[in-house]
Amino acid sequence: MKGDRHAFEALLVRYQKPVYNAAYRMLNNSEDARDVTQTVFLKVYENLDQYDPSHRFFSWIYRIAMNESINWLKKSSRQEALEHEAADQGDGPEQQAGDAQLGEGMEAALMMIKSEYRAVIILKHVLGCSYIEISEALDIPEKKVKSRLYAGRQLLQERLTQQGLH
Amino acid sequence: MAIDPNIVELINADIDGEISPADKDTLKAMMAESPEAQAMHAELSGLSSSLGDLPDLDAPPYLIHTIMAKIPKPESQDRRGDFLRGLFAAPALRYAAMFVAGSVLTLSLVSSDQVSERAFNDVTGLVGTISSEVPVGPGIQTMQIDRTDVAGHITVRSSGPLLIVDFDLVSNGPIDIVASYSDQSVWFNGFAQLESPGASISAESGRISMKINGKRRYALYLHNAGDRNVSIHLRFMSDGEVVYDTDIQYAQPGQPG
Repeated sequence: MKGDRHAFEALLVRYQKPVYNAAYRMLNNSEDARDVTQTVFLKVYENLDQYDPSHRFFSWIYRIAMNESINWLKKSSRQEALEHEAADQGDGPEQQAGDAQLGEGMEAALMMIKSEYRAVIILKHVLGCSYIEISEALDIPEKKVKSRLYAGRQLLQERLTQQGLH
Repeated sequence: MAIDPNIVELINADIDGEISPADKDTLKAMMAESPEAQAMHAELSGLSSSLGDLPDLDAPPYLIHTIMAKIPKPESQDRRGDFLRGLFAAPALRYAAMFVAGSVLTLSLVSSDQVSERAFNDVTGLVGTISSEVPVGPGIQTMQIDRTDVAGHITVRSSGPLLIVDFDLVSNGPIDIVASYSDQSVWFNGFAQLESPGASISAESGRISMKINGKRRYALYLHNAGDRNVSIHLRFMSDGEVVYDTDIQYAQPGQPG
């Protein structure tokens, strides 16, 4: 398909929304999510010859989206700041959340857990992937998908409780 | 009391919709005897619902077009204009060249009975206006286009005797735009572009045709003495086929469009 602009455009139409949503939930910033989405699709176009058809296409594109989002966080040093914030949140989150609605609290709480947990939660709960699909997308064993999901949800629950939202 | 890890695993599998019917029955039986397990199930179920309630966001407008504009074009198109691209690499030269190109096109393509020297001087004074954001206010009409072939904004506003139609568009490929208006007292008064190289425009009475390919920012200047209400019909065509058809209205502030 490389070089076929029409075929690539069809892919863009099909996947731009889930990829943008995944990036947004990983980064919680619309401009960063837009930039990451652009990078993801340019990489898809450039690396189509490396796509392994034995895997589902969306698993491949989601893997690129998650990797790019994590790289973006590393580059912008936001991950370190967020994790530091999460570790110090004895008295912070209540003030941060203020009178925020649960949705905003959830977005904030998501950003306070490590990106490896956030990635599985987003793939499961935002993109609706199965364990096996998450396993393919993140290139980790299914068992690890389950353990990260359990642990991630537990951490998320704790963050929300600390914010008085659950 | 700590919950049996097996129940925890089954609860999580149930929440994720990945539990077998047999395991589901087992979980039900186990939960019936464990209030802690019931509480955990309810808690995780609530969390799952809250995550599912996060809004499904739309990708930003024009994302497809922005990405498509960055995808390498077929080689034959890339080779064209290498010399000009090199020549106009410096921003100052590029903008100067664009203005000259716009001016030359305006003078060479428009019937001489439609352009007066005075009118053209008015236009040259206004070229800079399309580099800035168009404010929202009375008499300013903005239209958003978000189609697969073409996307962006078109704004109509008035400045003295001129009506300025600002096209800020991105297209996936070559698009012909035909702007037509029936009011004979309105006539083409000039053209300018910024932010992109290459311009193609022709004008005749009541009808102006432009070509865009990729990101383009054009401004059309129409002479509109008396600040009259004007309706402009816009047709966007790809390979001769109309892909989008719309009208944009200018209404004098305080008057209906």
